[in-house]
Amino acid sequence: MRSAFYLLDVAPYGSEKAYGLLNASAVSIEMEVTLGLYADGVYLALAGQDGQALAAPTMSDTIYAYPEIRVLAHEPSLARRGLLCESLIERVELVDDADFLQRIRAAECLIIL
Amino acid sequence: MPQTLNTSGLCWNTSNRCDKLKTLTIILTDGPYISEYAEMAYKIAAKALQMAQVNVFLYLDAVHIPKRGQKPSVLGDAGHLFRDLAQRGAIVRACVRCAAARGYAAGDDGTSPDYEQGILITSLYDMAEMIKNSDQVISLSR
Repeated sequence: MRSAFYLLDVAPYGSEKAYGLLNASAVSIEMEVTLGLYADGVYLALAGQDGQALAAPTMSDTIYAYPEIRVLAHEPSLARRGLLCESLIERVELVDDADFLQRIRAAECLIIL
Repeated sequence: MPQTLNTSGLCWNTSNRCDKLKTLTIILTDGPYISEYAEMAYKIAAKALQMAQVNVFLYLDAVHIPKRGQKPSVLGDAGHLFRDLAQRGAIVRACVRCAAARGYAAGDDGTSPDYEQGILITSLYDMAEMIKNSDQVISLSR
């Protein structure tokens, strides 16, 4: 495999899923790695997170720490949750349904944890 | 939500052989009995071993799967299934961070007295290597 698409569709806190997916993405950067945020996964892209209150790492920090990871957020998921693009961290690329699917298909494997 | 897969899909043909498959990696994240994924992974891996190298990476709660001495009352022992895969040549590895978080200690060589034989506790980087060196990847996760 030369590329991998990691898909997150759950909220960043309250379970180990987002943390696990971010770590898996980070160790995979020898490949072309895309992190796709879908449904509640888009909350990972919100600016101003602070995991301290939950005794958890601040998940969005990983995105800043690994510029090699391309981060996509599914725009319809954001809209359904009333989230505006101005509320997101800088590195996130907004994509519509068709583009999100196209990016998945372009990757050699899709990994959902 | 069952997940998979390589976007090109598995390539079984009518003679039940997979001509393209050389290395298959299966990633699991669920505990052994909360879903059927451990058993499904076993069946897929056992079949794939007839024609390909098979890697299995146990991540998050899946590090419970190879625990030695399980006695489920109504289901088969998932640890035995994965011990069997390792004995048949599959490379079965578990994430060290996830294992430590759940109380499974590893020696310097990756073995653990808590685990069935043949299954090692290693770095998450091994998962990335498995993926990189595979031509098919299946992730099974709720």
